[in-house]
Amino acid sequence: MLEVRTTQDVQDMARGAVFLGAGGGGDPYVGELFVRNQIEQGRYPRVIALDALADDAFVVGVAGIGAPTVLVEQLVSENALVALIAQAERLYGRAIDAIFCVEIGGCNSMVPLGLGARLGLPVIDADGMGRAFPHLEMTSFSVAGHRSTPAALRDDRGNEADITLDDDRVAERVARGFASSLGGLVHSVVYPMSGAEIRASAIPGTLTATRDIGRTIRGARSGDGDPTDRLIAFLDDPAADRAAARLFSGKIVDITHETRDGWHWGTAVIDSEGGAGDRMTIGIQNEFVVARRNGETVISVPDIIVVLDQESAEPLTAEQLRYGQRVHVIGYAAAPLMRRPEGLAVFGPRAFGIAEDYRAFGDQAADAC
Amino acid sequence: MTGPARGTLRLGIDVGGTNTDAVLMRGREVVASNKSFTTRDIGSGVIQSVTRLLESAKRGADEIGRVMIGTTQFVNAFVERKDLNPVAAIRIGAPCGDGVPPLVGFPEDLLGRIGRHVFWLEGGADYAGNAHGQVDEQAVLAIAAAIREREIPAAALTATFSPLRPDLEDEVAAVLRRGAPGLHVTCSARVGGMGLIDRENAAIMNASMALLSRRVIDALVDAFARLGITVPIYLTQNDGTLITTETAANYPVFTCSAGPTNSIRGAAFLAGVDDAVVVDVGGTTTDIGYVLRGFPRETALPNAIGGVRTNMRMPDILSIPLGGGSIVAIDGDAVEIGPQSVGHRLASDALVFGGETLTTTDLAVRAGLASIGDAALVADLADDDVRAAIEAIHARAEAAIDLVRVNGNPIPTILVGGGAILFPRDFAGSAGTLRPAFAEVANAIGAAIATVSGRSDRIYDLDVMAREDALADATRIAGDAARSAGAEDDSIELVELVELPLGHMQGRLVRVRARAVGALREVEHA
Repeated sequence: MLEVRTTQDVQDMARGAVFLGAGGGGDPYVGELFVRNQIEQGRYPRVIALDALADDAFVVGVAGIGAPTVLVEQLVSENALVALIAQAERLYGRAIDAIFCVEIGGCNSMVPLGLGARLGLPVIDADGMGRAFPHLEMTSFSVAGHRSTPAALRDDRGNEADITLDDDRVAERVARGFASSLGGLVHSVVYPMSGAEIRASAIPGTLTATRDIGRTIRGARSGDGDPTDRLIAFLDDPAADRAAARLFSGKIVDITHETRDGWHWGTAVIDSEGGAGDRMTIGIQNEFVVARRNGETVISVPDIIVVLDQESAEPLTAEQLRYGQRVHVIGYAAAPLMRRPEGLAVFGPRAFGIAEDYRAFGDQAADAC
Repeated sequence: MTGPARGTLRLGIDVGGTNTDAVLMRGREVVASNKSFTTRDIGSGVIQSVTRLLESAKRGADEIGRVMIGTTQFVNAFVERKDLNPVAAIRIGAPCGDGVPPLVGFPEDLLGRIGRHVFWLEGGADYAGNAHGQVDEQAVLAIAAAIREREIPAAALTATFSPLRPDLEDEVAAVLRRGAPGLHVTCSARVGGMGLIDRENAAIMNASMALLSRRVIDALVDAFARLGITVPIYLTQNDGTLITTETAANYPVFTCSAGPTNSIRGAAFLAGVDDAVVVDVGGTTTDIGYVLRGFPRETALPNAIGGVRTNMRMPDILSIPLGGGSIVAIDGDAVEIGPQSVGHRLASDALVFGGETLTTTDLAVRAGLASIGDAALVADLADDDVRAAIEAIHARAEAAIDLVRVNGNPIPTILVGGGAILFPRDFAGSAGTLRPAFAEVANAIGAAIATVSGRSDRIYDLDVMAREDALADATRIAGDAARSAGAEDDSIELVELVELPLGHMQGRLVRVRARAVGALREVEHA
């Protein structure tokens, strides 16, 4: 089982979380420091597999809701998170046996780890996205019929609210409104489930994946050959039901950003080098949502689009992209559970305003590269 | 006015780790230059350099009207953990942030110098700038008492969202000074923008150099007094603008990247262009920067100094391991350059100096690009190998230059630094390669031409304020800051206005960053 013992482990996981963040999800740095502070005090996160859960175990998700910009000022309150768990136990009327990350990509991967270490609560090696998405309802749990509420919301100053709503989209709006009125950031306990329920609806092994991806990138740098090749060799593993491929390589020749409806929109344009004249365009809506090669879509949500620095294989967030960077664009297939039709209605291309049907990455990759 | 007549010459000095360079300028003209060794006490090296400079120019000390100094002393001390003092790290914002206290992740050797003195206060602000409660004077005085008892000479104060409400830190600082007279206090809003941890780190770094900076600045002021130079002395800061000696003594962290900044600005000035890529070739590395409207482009990402992450304004420099001392390996058709360098042992290890290591300098001598050492010692290097190696050196630099450019438009490249001889031909993809005179003292030139600046970094709610009004407000605040830094009124110009929308929020919040610069008000002539 995944052991989180050292600063190196936590940094590997944070880098892996940026990778799975698909360009968004917020910088995990603050969360990384929270976990490192627990470890410095001798409190280590205990990660458990889905299989280790009893059917009648009571488990909940822990997620921050609000602006990453506020997180970098307000940081993480350990005491508030401890109080949040107590609040949730009052709300549900029972003790929580284990917690999990709702979103493994970006900053929401780290806080549950630190909280688990602080309270001695096991953290489940699974999440509800296998990546980052901008909304609370964009989870495999919600698609499987598990509601995000009743949920406990709490800010760092002791303001709390328990909410119960019949629709997860409405719950998302209400939770975000609560965050907006209380300084821009709250923490939440959401998606109360039984052990049997989460086992059937979660994306398994994703905490381990952050560590493995981060560790592979770190190791690949000091080894021979192209670090990106080594990363893909690790990720593209049919035996583990994983598919990954390099979709494009080139230089960023244009990058635009703007904000509409509270979302970060933008486009990155990458031209191939060596005179072939190929161009890849990546659409950004908080995360990288679609990549087109010479106008043809080669990958879209929920499959994971990652932009790596060519030299170091460092995964780059959308905010970090700049003119002139030499990058590789990697496709990493979403977990099988995320590719089912009922899920695609919630987080497929059309949910992001892209007027195309989803085509599983891999079908496209075959003729793309 | 009475008093001695002040001169019209500007003295620019760069106090580096190895060399102290000095230049004398009048207007845009370089009157004289000098290169001397830096001394451990700083002062005697400066006196020597300035004395030689004045002698060679046949000028008197009384003809100098302004002194501008760039130095890497503070950043070097921090990186080497030399002469640092203990720091009280005070966080204002409890109950927020208790999961990420000050000093998490600091390197052990640094903590060995500055200690682990962490204190908490309630307070701080929210993202809209609303304060959380009043300052608890008793709590502040209790911290002051603990600081006195532990004999800590400096404190770093960091409040939540203090870039929006710097007054919240100032209030606590005033009470703290009352309780601990003589305490050096660094308020984080003075040294960093949004991002509490990075800003707090910069404040702690600054506070750890409080005693050192006072000593170095006093040594500099004293050196000029002994030279008979009593005119105002300024130091250059990270963005290439000036601060007073008093500000530098209080905020040494502002000077941390003044070295590369001065080199970039000096190069642009000498070449007479405002937009260019600057290639500074040293012995071990080549530093490539980008000058935009006369100022270095700054990094967008956090940067680590001496193992501590900060969000300080730093020039965006790409360093590649390629310089005059880089070791060359030729194996058949394959040419390998660096990353190892003989560094300061060039004068003993390179072939042309009788050593046994093939370096890039040997290639340059063999190719007839330089005449140092004994060319006979490299005569048997094959022409084809030398040509291929020189070509490989160019290709490496050209790839790096392309990375630094912001768009596809062709702009010139300026070549400075002692290793510039490695690049005899123009860079491909550039609109010309410029090799200005005085390139070897570009740093000191950069100091001598420094201007003053002011900044603003705030969040506006566009649901309550029109966008134009928000931008105008930011512009006004930056201009006022430049004016109070000493800028001539009609020279103040807005050089940067960046809007950053805050994602994931209802409402339309934007963070607006503005920067204005202006020429330093002229000295009044008697």
